[in-house]
Amino acid sequence: MEYSFISLLKKDFKMMLSSKFLLLIVASLILYSLYINLVYIKIDQDIYPVYLLDPEESIQNASSQIIRVDNIKELQSRTSDGYAVGIDATGLEPEIIMVSSGLDSMDNIRTAYAYSLLSPGQSTPAEVIGQNSKEMKNRREITSEFLFFELAAVGFLGLASALFKEKHMGVIRVHGVMPVSKSLFIFSKLVLFLLTDLAFAFLLTIINLGLEKGISVLPAVLVQTILLSLIMALLGFLCAVRLPDFKQFSLLYLVLAIFITTPVFLVGQTSITWNWVNYNPMYHLFMAIKNAYFGMPTDEPIYYIVCVVSIVSLFMLAYKALTHEMAKEG
Amino acid sequence: MRGIYYQFKNIRRDKMCILSFLLPIIAGIAINLLSGVSLSTLGETAFGIVQNDLTEEMVNWLEQKGSVMIYEDAKGLQRAVIDPATQMIGAVRDGDTIRTILSGDELQLYKTIGDNIPLLFEERQAINAVAIQVSPAPSDSLWIKSLLIVITMVTAMFMGCTFNAMNIIGEKEDGILFINEILPMTQKDYVFQKIFLGLVGGVLSTIATALVCIKIEFEQLIPLLLLIILSAFISALIGMYIGLFSSGLMVGIVYIKLIMIFFIAPPIFFYLMIPAGSIGRTLSYLLPSSATFYGLMDLVNGSRQSISVYLAILLIHCVALLLIYFITGYRKKKVYGV
Repeated sequence: MEYSFISLLKKDFKMMLSSKFLLLIVASLILYSLYINLVYIKIDQDIYPVYLLDPEESIQNASSQIIRVDNIKELQSRTSDGYAVGIDATGLEPEIIMVSSGLDSMDNIRTAYAYSLLSPGQSTPAEVIGQNSKEMKNRREITSEFLFFELAAVGFLGLASALFKEKHMGVIRVHGVMPVSKSLFIFSKLVLFLLTDLAFAFLLTIINLGLEKGISVLPAVLVQTILLSLIMALLGFLCAVRLPDFKQFSLLYLVLAIFITTPVFLVGQTSITWNWVNYNPMYHLFMAIKNAYFGMPTDEPIYYIVCVVSIVSLFMLAYKALTHEMAKEG
Repeated sequence: MRGIYYQFKNIRRDKMCILSFLLPIIAGIAINLLSGVSLSTLGETAFGIVQNDLTEEMVNWLEQKGSVMIYEDAKGLQRAVIDPATQMIGAVRDGDTIRTILSGDELQLYKTIGDNIPLLFEERQAINAVAIQVSPAPSDSLWIKSLLIVITMVTAMFMGCTFNAMNIIGEKEDGILFINEILPMTQKDYVFQKIFLGLVGGVLSTIATALVCIKIEFEQLIPLLLLIILSAFISALIGMYIGLFSSGLMVGIVYIKLIMIFFIAPPIFFYLMIPAGSIGRTLSYLLPSSATFYGLMDLVNGSRQSISVYLAILLIHCVALLLIYFITGYRKKKVYGV
């Protein structure tokens, strides 16, 4: 029994190597890390630039944030984007010129802010109560997003495509006559994909959060990785065994994953609230990973119970599907 | 013509393939159904206050400046401010003025606003005396919505690529490629048939998405159509490349995923980060989807000044990619051919 499990593992690992699955994982890891470190952490939005046309220098105490321009043409062209604000001080009283942003409330803040720069008044700075800097927040946020997408989309496809290939090669038929238990057949695949997913989660976290911060969130992240990886791998197993035209399905799935996860990301990462997203199980799985990355792991027992129950029932379904498939193959 | 007929017959039974072309249209309908209200909160400044804390005047003033969420106690407010998903600015009363709370991870924009709110509140009377001249926004659509629409349309165009790649990989795995070698069909015919299929699928899917999502004016029709056809052609051609270079399904998925990311993500980034007219923008045209993206964005927002530039860039990409395909394709054939 032990021996057959090890040889099954060996076979699955060879399949994994030959299907270049590991290559895909490494390529994704590099691509994601480059994107996070070179692009994502630098994303920021500056305050509205304020341009001042004041050739006679009648405004003396203007803030140093104000950018002076030379003529009305320049003022108009600089403020045509619906973001920047212009102040025309050529008349008796300064006049604020701008293109609407489309939102009245934003226009109100823009005018109030631009006006405040004309006088030297100082404001009491806001009290800062959070632990994360913007960069650290960005790192945690995007790393959780990438890990989730990778597990949900590629983990699923990895197992499914490996199994699909085996199905084509007749491995399932051979297994029907071998004295190896069917659950071992599923098990060896699950273990292997779980290990690669764990390794991926580990590396992605350490590379992008840094050693110290990474290690402090790793235990919670790995727990969520195990849950999500098992669920997705079992789903992939089921799809590959049951669907006859899996090849086209894989393509559909990749796109479907984008369309399913986009609302999840929008609600999870921005201030948008849609109540219907609560019915999307992916949302809860994503929030669990995200909360783990922010050091506030989900502690609701109901979430874990649902996860474990779905893993067990998916395993039973996969077992049944495999039995059915073996019976069909003779 | 007969070849194309057979190709169509080949995919007609493939329900998944038809479904994947329908998917962007469904996504387009979903975006259209999204209420603008929930999306507009993205651009608004969010304030959080505690019940019965601020005066009525303060609350009214904040409501003019953004959306206001009311929390039962200070704990709830702090939790909402710290929540990494929001850029919320907490506002509490401090005598006659407002004091603000930030979590420290906000964008520069909201940090500056949060720091300045007390001052802005003090100046609330003075600002009323100032003359303000606001020109209306050039288009009434929300930028986030146009962005979602354009991303869906670019994805729809990309379907031609994925379809072709999967189709050719499938043929390779089933051995049809060898049958094709002995059929009385030139490589040109083969390429033409495959590209035609991907092109038709991509164009139809994109046009349907466009019809669902955007109001097209008559004079925009031809530029839009040209933009879609050229981009779908390039995407179908890229699909041919993937088919040419990948040996199996998994490798194909790797390539498709990588190219899909390169096709969709950088243009969005360039569009948002690099100002128009800079060298960075010019360099970004090396990626064909950039021109598509900028062009669609312009059309959705109702301007079409530089559309001919985008079309010319796409045309250059078409010709260059097609030439390279034939050159590398012939070389590959020489190596493997018998």
